[in-house]
Amino acid sequence: MAKAIKNVRKQTLSAEEKRSNDLREVEDALIQNKTAILQTLEIMNHMNEKGILPLLNGLFGQGDKVMDIAVKAMDKPENTNTLKNLLLLLGTLGMINVKQLEPFLLKIDAGIARVAEYKDTDEKTSYFDLVRSLKDPEINKAVTILMQFLKGMGQETEHYEKTTGDTPEKRANQSKEKTLE
Amino acid sequence: MFCMFILGKGEGHLKDLTIRINGTKRSASSGETVLNLLDGSPDQIPHVCYHPSLGPIETCDTCIVKVNGEFVRACSTTVNDGDDIDTNSDEVREAQVIGMDRILFNHELYCTVCDYNNGGCEVHNTVKEMKINHQSIPFEHKPYEVDNSNPFYRYDPDQCILCGRCVEACQDVQVTETLTIDWERERPRVIWDKDVPINESSCVSCGHCSTVCPCNAMMEKGMEGETGYMTGINRETLRPMIEITKGVETGYGSVLAISDMEAAMREQRIKKTKTVCTYCGVGCSFDVWTKGREILKVDPQIDAPANGISTCIKGKFGWDFVNSEERLTKPLIREGDVFREATWDEAYNLIASKFTEIKEKNGAQALTFISSSKCTNEESYLMQKLARSVIGTNNIDNCSRYCQTPATMGLFRTVGHGGDSGSIKDIEKSELVIVIGSNTSESHPVLATRVKRSHKLHNQKLIVADLRKHEMAERADLFIQPRAGSDLVWLSAVTKYILDEGLADHDFLQNHVNGLDDFRENLEKFTLKYAERVTGLSGDILIQLAKTISQSKSVCVLWAMGVTQHTGGSDTSTAISNLLLVTGNYGREGVGSYPLRGHNNVQGASDFGSMPDRFPSYEKVADIKVREKYENAWGVKIPEDPGLNNHEMVQGIHDGHVKAMYLKGEDMGIVDSNINHVHAAYEKLDFFVVQDLFLTRTAQFADVVLPASPSLEKEGTFTNTERRIQRLYQVLEPLGDSKPDWEIIRDIANRLGAGWDYKHPSDIMEEAAQLAPLFAGVSYERLEGYKSLQWPVAEDGTDTPILFKDGFPFEDKKARLFPVNWTEPVEFGEEYDIHVNNGRLLEHFHEGNMTYQSEGITSKTPNTFLEISPELAEDRGIKDGTLVRLSSPYGNVKVHCLITDRVKGKEVYLPMNDSGEAAINLLTSSYSDKDTDTPAYKETSAKLEILMEEGVNPLPKTNFRYGNPQPQVGVNVKKKWARKDYIFPGDAVKKERNQHG
Repeated sequence: MAKAIKNVRKQTLSAEEKRSNDLREVEDALIQNKTAILQTLEIMNHMNEKGILPLLNGLFGQGDKVMDIAVKAMDKPENTNTLKNLLLLLGTLGMINVKQLEPFLLKIDAGIARVAEYKDTDEKTSYFDLVRSLKDPEINKAVTILMQFLKGMGQETEHYEKTTGDTPEKRANQSKEKTLE
Repeated sequence: MFCMFILGKGEGHLKDLTIRINGTKRSASSGETVLNLLDGSPDQIPHVCYHPSLGPIETCDTCIVKVNGEFVRACSTTVNDGDDIDTNSDEVREAQVIGMDRILFNHELYCTVCDYNNGGCEVHNTVKEMKINHQSIPFEHKPYEVDNSNPFYRYDPDQCILCGRCVEACQDVQVTETLTIDWERERPRVIWDKDVPINESSCVSCGHCSTVCPCNAMMEKGMEGETGYMTGINRETLRPMIEITKGVETGYGSVLAISDMEAAMREQRIKKTKTVCTYCGVGCSFDVWTKGREILKVDPQIDAPANGISTCIKGKFGWDFVNSEERLTKPLIREGDVFREATWDEAYNLIASKFTEIKEKNGAQALTFISSSKCTNEESYLMQKLARSVIGTNNIDNCSRYCQTPATMGLFRTVGHGGDSGSIKDIEKSELVIVIGSNTSESHPVLATRVKRSHKLHNQKLIVADLRKHEMAERADLFIQPRAGSDLVWLSAVTKYILDEGLADHDFLQNHVNGLDDFRENLEKFTLKYAERVTGLSGDILIQLAKTISQSKSVCVLWAMGVTQHTGGSDTSTAISNLLLVTGNYGREGVGSYPLRGHNNVQGASDFGSMPDRFPSYEKVADIKVREKYENAWGVKIPEDPGLNNHEMVQGIHDGHVKAMYLKGEDMGIVDSNINHVHAAYEKLDFFVVQDLFLTRTAQFADVVLPASPSLEKEGTFTNTERRIQRLYQVLEPLGDSKPDWEIIRDIANRLGAGWDYKHPSDIMEEAAQLAPLFAGVSYERLEGYKSLQWPVAEDGTDTPILFKDGFPFEDKKARLFPVNWTEPVEFGEEYDIHVNNGRLLEHFHEGNMTYQSEGITSKTPNTFLEISPELAEDRGIKDGTLVRLSSPYGNVKVHCLITDRVKGKEVYLPMNDSGEAAINLLTSSYSDKDTDTPAYKETSAKLEILMEEGVNPLPKTNFRYGNPQPQVGVNVKKKWARKDYIFPGDAVKKERNQHG
């Protein structure tokens, strides 16, 4: 006799199980992308040294405000070429989803804050330290995010580069023919 | 992209005319329009309002050319021999630019931040193609707010170019007749009914308007703020941004260039995938736009063979269920009084061991299998193969047993193929359409639009026989209301009258039909007098019917559950086919029988063998040669006796010889009749496996529940009511751990040692095509994209849009008149004095498992209701909202009332969209069609008690049923032309030239 029932007992993973699953996933990804990760760390380091990271952080962290100010600034009678160029730039800015970027940048900010604290240390990091440090959930998360970022960065985007073929000569010719493409 | 639609370019027509275009000689076909002639040629001209599925609307004035020196609109001008056409002189260009300028006065170009900037915007593309850089009449806002009231689409009057496509589609394609343009205001706009908010109008949310809108004025809400990279931007920032784009002095050039670039980028993240709708048998196909798992919109295509640009509310907007949090994502195993989430391995092992155990203990016949008419052909094929070859039983059926098997039976008896005789196009072309027991505009909405259009515009005659005055009845030239269950009698009496009066098609009878003598003899009893007495129709009406039918050059009969769900359902279906044979309405264009299949794959589920007595292609199990073919192919022995059908399975459980059931994709515990009886059976099963999207009422009785993936998450094919096989492509990944049904069946078979190696549904179709003669030439390559095949399909891929052109599939190629007699409907006894008609609603599918997941649909139709006639309401003191109990000998329902004149007298209508206390099948009986065991749902009576006099009206005021449609033909462009401020651009150019000239 099987009566109708509605109760469902959900499968729950213990925190430990979940953690070890996640860790394994990260470890796998790390091993698969070893070179890229090491290079990224280097790049991040350079970016930080040159002050690019804080700049980007400011720009994107306040994305909506910056956009608003930029747009309002542009909304004034200006010379055509400037506007055209700005519009082109805006078109490119449009590629960036500010909402998605914000959390990422906040994380970078936190990373920088941490680096700032330790900037004078002479500590060296060995290969082993690197792998061990993956067990640290914070580092783990950062590496995971970085790897996704790298994946996106490596994507084929050439077909979007509409502006590349757009030379002043070509444009001059086009406008003679009244063609807009 | 104003040249994207290149249709009707005189294809198949003789190039019989010689004309000149810009001085060059060319040939053309009579009847062709200048626009069609030029489209796709180097001399093509701009156009905005013209749409190949809508024809010339004549509002945009951008397609102006000069023919023999006169300015004309190319869309509405047909070519004549010797015409001299000028498409590129300065004058012509000037006139076209005036047309476009007037459009831009009504539409602001902020393409880069517009959600419609996806490459298909016809305003954008036309501006580009016309090389317009400046606008002489500046854009000016209209004094109207955006109408956001409808849950599915919104109208922005400020962006509306007044092309009238939406109105044309609403008035003459969908024929709901809600939209018009009020040309008399200073700034015209589209209005709903008599100018009410969209959500308070007669709008049925079919989506035609947003589909055909050439710009962002009428847009699906799913698109808003989602498609562009910058379209989700704050309103405050957006405005100055738009101002900038306008402020660029160099003109639209760079604006359009940037927006084109941005549009191309959108393609990176917006996926467009073709699929086939799962909501009814019409078989609409369309592209689904997705961003991740989010569905942005459903985009029907002109190439879609069954529906073209048409959809209904469910197909266009009813897909929220796919991402519902209530979806099953893991297998469930019953443990005491809870279901435990389990792994697939556990579930498969349990199923394999239980099936094996029961088979060993009770024999293979103790196991039963029910396939779904919502699943694919491949899945139907696998399910019957699992039953027959792995388990060794013919106990396999599908849920078309609940609806359409009697129609198939009627056609097998008379014409030999159990499917629609032709295509929807044939119904469209027919001179006379007869609709019997079908609420077509709600149950098969897109198919109904074709009838409504032909009736409205092309003088098609429409006869409707029904109990209820639904929309088709309202539109009919002749609406008859025979007594419930008496259709066979009037059909037979009309047939007899036609034969007696010499009105039959004698040539056809002589050359193509057998059995006339026996048939006539059996008809003797169906005199007009007898029919009058039984049906309640007058003799005059019967004679009028007979004359109209016999005088019409082409007749199509459409029927559905009002015919089949009776104790004599197969016989009535047979009587329809007999009538068509007697009048010669088979085997050519525009004629035939059309049993309207209710689910997306009712046709295919049976076609591909999920029937207890038939293999795929309807070859009989009892036929030893057929059995041997399958035994050789599968390497097993198949039992020779037909198996149990659904109805017999339930009885078999009660009788104790059926011990296990594996059921997929059907909430049988709600949709079977007399569900208390069915539930009691489920409780007796030793082992019950249910495979579905949700924990349905049926699944609640299961021992193992398997999470399946819906159509959007898998590949396969469906066969629609036209016998049309169409491919669906995977739009989304399966949610959670859910799997496509074919994979689950394959895996179960393999746990039972089958060794199946199907890697893709195309492998399954390949095997089926080799074995089933009707599908010999079916292959995935031949079904790519929007290509389709209507069975029978010969090995070389030739399909059969119209059946019986070369005779009927019997040995002598002749059809058979099959004598049938009337079965009196079931009487429940005098105390059950209310006849309970039941069926579908437009906006919900069946019990509503899928459609209640749509917030929009639920807001407009939150629950079922009982339609009560004004007479009955008056008699019993019932108001809108009164809560009543209906009781039959089998159970009772509680439901709130809605008073409407769609029903009359003691006839009530209870839509089936409820799975709780108002579920219709709590009332229905276990009586069934005597030939197919399809439940006699429509033979239900009950007594009515009032439980609570005052209650809330069950149908919100935002439901379309309260609306006031405003019928007119098209957009009424003459009113635009009559405006004081309107000058035909050609005249404007002439005037200017004269002034300067």
